[in-house]
Amino acid sequence: MIAASEDELLWYLVDLGQTMERYGAVILSQDSSDEVSLGRNGDDLILDLRSHLPTIQRAPPTALRLRERWSRTGDHWRLMEYGYELHHRALDYRRALHRHDVDRFVRAHDVVTHEHCESTLGVESCRHFAGDPVDGAREGFFRLYGLWLAGTKPDCSSLRCLD
Amino acid sequence: MDRLYYTPREVAQALAISDDAVLDLIDRGDLPALRVSPRIIRIPIVAFDLWRSGVVPKPRRATIRPASPMAPIGSDEQVPAEARALTR
Repeated sequence: MIAASEDELLWYLVDLGQTMERYGAVILSQDSSDEVSLGRNGDDLILDLRSHLPTIQRAPPTALRLRERWSRTGDHWRLMEYGYELHHRALDYRRALHRHDVDRFVRAHDVVTHEHCESTLGVESCRHFAGDPVDGAREGFFRLYGLWLAGTKPDCSSLRCLD
Repeated sequence: MDRLYYTPREVAQALAISDDAVLDLIDRGDLPALRVSPRIIRIPIVAFDLWRSGVVPKPRRATIRPASPMAPIGSDEQVPAEARALTR
């Protein structure tokens, strides 16, 4: 479980945004071009970065979204949930790395994290796949960016289906 | 789909430097790259073009604002029908 002070969390966001842009991602959904923000919701801080990855001319955009929920515990923040999503519309696939509803997934499957893999976007061969934990949004970005960079559909059959 | 990355050798040729010099740029964090496996490194073309043109994205200012309404993480387990339709 990742923990951070508020200053560390803000720096994490700055570094994440700059890294994404160095790799050619276009960050959307922020209030201004020189700012990135966390949303405060009670005792939670919400990270929600939407971006587009480059596409060839006239191809539909490839969307990469990084979402996290951090909760205050004492004087630190802990990463409680994440959802890192890649929707590749030109190649028509989806990959996602998720951690949410932890109690439910532990009870049902004895796992904390799971993944989604749709070799045709919106068509599930399996509702949830077992997945390795992701060490924060930076790693989530690089795992999904690496898939995009390969330029081919993902091999969902290599994953272990949970349900 | 066209290839989206260069190999270190292709970058070395483009820059007229040695393979080792490219790996050094990557190891120092100067040149954006992805290590796919211990032996395979990919340099995204889009990132290489930015780097070569001298474009360095400025760090953005980070702030905390009231959260805008957002569906909880996990509520988008399935891709909405309207998003699926965009691809057809």
